[in-house]
Amino acid sequence: MNNRLIVLFITILFLASCKKELNQEPLSAITPENYLNEESQLGAYAIARYTKILPSHANYTFGTFGTDGNTDNMAIPDLDTKFEPGLWKVPAAAKDGNWEFTNIHDVNYFLSTVIPKWKAGKIVGSDVNIRQYIGEIYFLRAFEYFKKMQEFGDYPINKTIYPDTKSVLVEASKRQPSSAVTRFILSDLDSAALLLQTSPDGNKNRISKSCAQLLKSRVALFEGTWLKYFKGTAFVPNGTGWPGKSKDYNASYQFASGSIDAEITYLLGESMSAAKAVADAVPLVNNTGIIESPANENPYFSMFGAVNMSGYSEVLLWRQYALGIVTHNVPVFEQAGNYAVGLTRAMVESFVMANGLPIYAPGSGYKGDDYITDVRNGRDGRLTLFLKEPAQKNVLLNFGAGDHATNIEPVPQIFETSYEKKYTTGYTIRKGLSYDAAQCGNGQGYTGSITFRASEAYLNYIEACYEKNGSLDGDATSYWHQLRTRAKVDPDFQKTIAATDMSKESQDWGAYSGGALISPTLYNIRRERRNELMAEGLRYMDLKRWRAMDQMISTPYHFEGFKLWGPMKSWYTDDQLTYGAANTNAIVSDPALSVYLRPQEIHSSSNAYGGAKWNMAHYLSPIAIQNFTISSENSDIAGSPIYQNPGWPTTGGGTPN
Amino acid sequence: MAKIEGVVKDEQGVLPGASIKIKGTTIGTTSDSKGFFTLSAPADGILLISSIGYKPTELSVKDYKPSSGSIYRVFLTMTSEDNNLNELVVVGFGTQKKVNVTGSVGVVDAKELENRPVQNITQALEGLIPGLNIGQSNGALDTQADINIRGQGTISTASNASPLILVDGMEGSLSALNPQDVESISVLKDASSSAVYGSRAAFGVILVTTKKGKAGKIQINYNDSFRSSSPTLLPKMMDSYTFALYFNDASTNGGNSAIFGADQLARIQAFQAGTLKASIIPNPSNTQYWGDGYAYGNANNDWFKIMYRDHSFSQEHNLSLNGGTDKTTYYISTNYLDQNGIMTYNQDTYARYGVSAKINNKISDQLSINYSTRFLRENFQRPSDLTTGFYGNLGRQGWPTLPLTDPNGYLYSSPSPALAMAEGGVDNTVTDWMYQQMQLVYEPIKGWKTFAEFNYRTKDTFRHWDAQQTYNHDVNGVPYLYGKSSNVYEYGFKENYFNTNIYSEYTKSFGKHNFKAMVGFQNETTKYRDLSAQRNGIILADIPTINTTSGTDANGLVLAPSVTGQYQNWATAGYFGRINYDYDGRYLLEANLRYDGSSRFRADNRWGTFPSISAGWNVAREDFWKNNLDLISTLKIRGSYGSLGNQNTKDWYPTYVTIPVGTANGGWLLNGSQPNTASSPPVLSSTQTWETVKTYNAGLDFGLFKNRLTGSLDVYDRKTLNMLGPAIELPLTFGTAVPVTNNTDLKTRGFELDIAWNDRTKGGLGYGFKFLLSDAKTTVTRYPNLTGSLNTYLAGDQLGNIYGYTTLGIAKTQAQMDAHLATSSNGQSVFGSQWGAGDIMYADYNHDGKIDWGSWTKGDSGDAHVIGNNTPRYRVGFDMHFEYKGFDFRAFLQGVLKRDYWISNYYFWGATSSQWFSTGLVQNLNYFRNDPTSPLGVNTDSYYPRPVFGSDKNQQVQTGYLQNAAYLRIKNLQLGYTLPSLLTKHLGGQKFRIYASAENLVTWTKLAKMFDPETVDGGDDQSVYPLNKVFSVGLSVTF
Repeated sequence: MNNRLIVLFITILFLASCKKELNQEPLSAITPENYLNEESQLGAYAIARYTKILPSHANYTFGTFGTDGNTDNMAIPDLDTKFEPGLWKVPAAAKDGNWEFTNIHDVNYFLSTVIPKWKAGKIVGSDVNIRQYIGEIYFLRAFEYFKKMQEFGDYPINKTIYPDTKSVLVEASKRQPSSAVTRFILSDLDSAALLLQTSPDGNKNRISKSCAQLLKSRVALFEGTWLKYFKGTAFVPNGTGWPGKSKDYNASYQFASGSIDAEITYLLGESMSAAKAVADAVPLVNNTGIIESPANENPYFSMFGAVNMSGYSEVLLWRQYALGIVTHNVPVFEQAGNYAVGLTRAMVESFVMANGLPIYAPGSGYKGDDYITDVRNGRDGRLTLFLKEPAQKNVLLNFGAGDHATNIEPVPQIFETSYEKKYTTGYTIRKGLSYDAAQCGNGQGYTGSITFRASEAYLNYIEACYEKNGSLDGDATSYWHQLRTRAKVDPDFQKTIAATDMSKESQDWGAYSGGALISPTLYNIRRERRNELMAEGLRYMDLKRWRAMDQMISTPYHFEGFKLWGPMKSWYTDDQLTYGAANTNAIVSDPALSVYLRPQEIHSSSNAYGGAKWNMAHYLSPIAIQNFTISSENSDIAGSPIYQNPGWPTTGGGTPN
Repeated sequence: MAKIEGVVKDEQGVLPGASIKIKGTTIGTTSDSKGFFTLSAPADGILLISSIGYKPTELSVKDYKPSSGSIYRVFLTMTSEDNNLNELVVVGFGTQKKVNVTGSVGVVDAKELENRPVQNITQALEGLIPGLNIGQSNGALDTQADINIRGQGTISTASNASPLILVDGMEGSLSALNPQDVESISVLKDASSSAVYGSRAAFGVILVTTKKGKAGKIQINYNDSFRSSSPTLLPKMMDSYTFALYFNDASTNGGNSAIFGADQLARIQAFQAGTLKASIIPNPSNTQYWGDGYAYGNANNDWFKIMYRDHSFSQEHNLSLNGGTDKTTYYISTNYLDQNGIMTYNQDTYARYGVSAKINNKISDQLSINYSTRFLRENFQRPSDLTTGFYGNLGRQGWPTLPLTDPNGYLYSSPSPALAMAEGGVDNTVTDWMYQQMQLVYEPIKGWKTFAEFNYRTKDTFRHWDAQQTYNHDVNGVPYLYGKSSNVYEYGFKENYFNTNIYSEYTKSFGKHNFKAMVGFQNETTKYRDLSAQRNGIILADIPTINTTSGTDANGLVLAPSVTGQYQNWATAGYFGRINYDYDGRYLLEANLRYDGSSRFRADNRWGTFPSISAGWNVAREDFWKNNLDLISTLKIRGSYGSLGNQNTKDWYPTYVTIPVGTANGGWLLNGSQPNTASSPPVLSSTQTWETVKTYNAGLDFGLFKNRLTGSLDVYDRKTLNMLGPAIELPLTFGTAVPVTNNTDLKTRGFELDIAWNDRTKGGLGYGFKFLLSDAKTTVTRYPNLTGSLNTYLAGDQLGNIYGYTTLGIAKTQAQMDAHLATSSNGQSVFGSQWGAGDIMYADYNHDGKIDWGSWTKGDSGDAHVIGNNTPRYRVGFDMHFEYKGFDFRAFLQGVLKRDYWISNYYFWGATSSQWFSTGLVQNLNYFRNDPTSPLGVNTDSYYPRPVFGSDKNQQVQTGYLQNAAYLRIKNLQLGYTLPSLLTKHLGGQKFRIYASAENLVTWTKLAKMFDPETVDGGDDQSVYPLNKVFSVGLSVTF
């Protein structure tokens, strides 16, 4: 019987011991209750949002310098479908398109978790830092919302996180008028400006107070000009055919200032005061005019391609890269064909002469464009600095270090096909170039990437001031003088205005608003902005808010590059100059179309052949169809609180009329 | 002593070569060619008669009367072992006579797995048991085949539906097992047979029983095999010139310029003609270096041939001893497998070393103790650069024009795969498995047995990889740093698994009423921890250890090392009971109940109760059947029902939310260093609970012609209920991943059939055929897809439905296309523009005058409709074997008879919408072109439409290019020869066999020629390490 007892005993022992074993909790993970309680945890959460929300160089692209591709400033071989009416279609699946809330959720999780704890004094750490990180999140929410507003106009304003309950989420899908979204963004930026420090990390890698002010001036200027130029249309709240009117919740919307005109005045005023705060605080970086600037001989040149950008006053925020950790390929593409992002002839021609006269003006001294040398001769110092020319040196430091360096600038390799090699228009930039060959391992570059630059504040002020008052005040005049002086252009902008002939500026989309040419003064304000901010990723935003593409509804626009069919054709072999719209071997465009290279009109089978066109609906993006059905209690489109943007149908694959 | 004269027979006649031994001694003899033997034995001795293929028989001398003096005459008829429904089958916590089994159980014995030149037992199991589906979608040496029982059991993203694998009663791994140790494998397919294992067995159980010692003289077996492997199939690249023209056509068709200019084309041609020796030119803008391979290369390489070997050599050796006495038996085995992969550069290898020992000891009449231990080491090594991305990249980045070596003869990465593969370091993983199993069996009174099992397993994994710097050479042959980063990574993992099974069974018969009852308890605990460290900057390439790293990058910048470490635990506990009843073996009944708890759920939701029941009727045992027994000797009808919970959530702590935190991993640097990061926690459903699997099974077993023809048929209906289905679609304002909830039901219906014929002719030819057929079809029966979106699952839809368009054909002329476009109001513009000759004409399937996809929902899918289904249907296995005068032959075929497959990637299409996700295989050459000046000639009767970079308009899912992935494959063919027993005996042995065996020999399929039908599910873009065709020879000797 002894054996039996032993077995019984062992059995009881095991039956008793196992129940406790079944209580298992995560052993090496942190639960939410135990997090976001301490200063450094807030900082870690905030910094992780930067790359998801803010623009910077991505690897194997031309980084932020290529963002303006597919505008009248810069062309790439593949024309975007937004300039090919009939090819931009309403997406079917919700995941296609940018109607999404991931970043918004992530910042709202932070705010809804941290703010109550902070107010209750339950967060450990330095209050200055805690305020800084909360400020960063407010700033990032504003930035994210501004992106959504530019793309979709009206957008749901969500300030908190929601449970997985459909009715709640349907309610949260209600689109708020763009002017209300703007007010929300400005209020977040005011909160951010209150909380953020002037120099949080000493290196400008973290968002500072002036970033919030600059962004505020940008957002207010955007919506101010948008309301002004789209006033009365379906693209502004309460305008004719505004689709928001069809939904009960928006039917009685009133502008916060009472009327659209008052709102415009308010916004432009906000833009001015925010811009002034930055412009008065931050001086412009010096331009010595020296192009070969390997050791910061010209800070204005070196600023755009520096490894460490913290020393340049104008840089308000920049992203740092480091070899072996985070790298990009901008330096390689700077020295080669700019990853096929080519400067357009229109962009190059918009720069005035150093004497302040437009190139066509009598006595301007313009040498013509038979050669790139001629184009650069006597021009606005910014064109001279930043437009590449064959035989210029690209490498001045560490020769032989990077196997993808291009030591000497070749003639534009327009015959190449891969984006890595191709010079699309013949005109390329050296803005952002590093003279250090060590930056030229493929994909191994680590120059910094500018996120915000203070000169934009100067430009925002000038424009907001003129749009608001119809004239330029002392500050505006001073800012403009400073910019032109730094650019090595005669500061007397009145001289330029007087010599401007709007009919000769028609290649510049910014010369138009609502299909009509604008006044020379306003045009020169826009021209200054275009020239100063060349290749900095803000062009399409400007074109939209200026309503500057209506003219292409009736008149196709032809993207053009350098004057290939002039003397420069001798740079190429006959094979490289094969043309013919029906010839599958064609490499360049037909001289019968234009003496200038038309990189998108080489083959008649190309969708871009015949030029870029426009459709009013394209000012805003369509919302994917599935978003309507999944936010509707009955899965029908009409039952959704979401309304489609003006001109777009509610069928998957549909196109505006 | 008694003198015994005997004759051994089988059903057909005399049986030569049978072994006759006196039990407990080493004395024995063999029957001669007339089946006759003589032997001296004690008068109370017991004779053991055995012969391969027959059931061993015992006879006691004292049961016989001496015919004269002390001479005993004995006649003995052996019954063949095969096809005998009386054999024992291993079932949950015990064995059962096959004839009494009422659930659905499939069995394989060691013989069917013999001499297969495979890496592990899983590969050999494919096609052997109907309903056990094994998918070998990848041939890499470290991948394990995917196993499921009875088809797809889940569409959950949060839980698994893989079967529970038990080795001698303890959870184990089929890959970490010496295949030669396996005695038999049972597969418990329905809920009633697996119910006793509870919540880890919801999708079936695979029970492996390993060999144990047999009483008697020590028996030594040695066998080996020597193998040569080669890829079953490699895609074949176009030659460089054809490739360049093809890409140029794709580019110009898309309205862009040609990719290869006249100059590069000329060099490509000259290189092919042999007039140009250099594979690339110097970079025109930086002449110190060779150019970029894509832009300037002119070589002519088939990268598949370059990166993979034609064949590689492997070998396996196995030695085992067994023997013992009545009281104690032992079995000891060792195994060594040395397998080489087919990577050309830095060849990949897999080695396995195994030792196992099993001792069974009877302490007293009441108590016995069994102990076994198994040690197994797996050592896998591959080039560091051989990551899963390699297989896909080989196709899309391996342009034939890329040079392998530069003109100076150095391996050149421009980029190309060879340099990093050859010189980029190695990745080595060593895994040690240690199994300890002890079982006490206590039988105080006859019929009452109590088992106490203590199982312990440890698994240790150590992984090392080093990523080395690589060097290219410039035009002057001077090396320069190319792959700049170098680092060493070390990883250690330890898993402790402890399992206790205590169960007690009682067997009792009252007349013809037989009862058996069992109760038991089971507990499992798993704990693991791991630790890893990686540091950059290998100081000396030959000494890649963490100690000898500098912690800096190529420029001397200090990089933070990365370290990780974690702990995880889970545990289960279960109480179970079973009752078996039968009346005279005619009416059978079994009921199970299991009460299970799992650490995966919180206390209030932790325990579940899962019942099952099954019954059978042995018709052939009825009196009225007596007259039919000659024809139909076995006939049994059975049925079962069971319900099981599934606790196999992917996450070990599915009810806990955790914050994703990252250490020094931020992409936005702060003062040059990576900051720590954190993100919002995922959202969990508060209602998460058990999934339930309910299975109904009905079966029929039969044996005809004295059991020469045997077979069984099962039909089943399995419901996976309350599954953690894919998250529903909520308005995107939710902003984060929608939590999974128990919101989905699935239904799988299918059948399994196996029929076997085994016989031996009078002339001594033994032969057999076995045919297996199974099918499973899964339907979603509940899923909250409110909008009816076709992007996710739909209630009522069969899993695997392919929605697509109907292809009318390729327009041969612009006029034909224009005429087609005119038939619809939107001219198929939803797919693209610039329609012309060579493009696809899609049908207006729903006749609404336009070609579109509607709202892409059920009921409004426009012209899209179900054009096929990618579920593998009608899986077959066919096995035949013959043996005659020592020769044996076996052929085994396996296949899938019906399957559609849609392949959307570049391996099928060649040129896709993206130039960098395109390739050019010889099959792709059959594309539409109508340019008389093309060096490739006009081809307007092409299979493929014209290639167009920048548009996928011709590559919509459509009937015209739907693939038929059905196949039949000769999985194994083997021929052996066993030396005659007399000769063997003369040589001092018992058995001596040599054999040759081939694996994956021939495949029949209609699938596009660049795909292996077995790997079509594997990898990204159907690109995987190829499966292998293996030829092997070997011998097996027993002393």
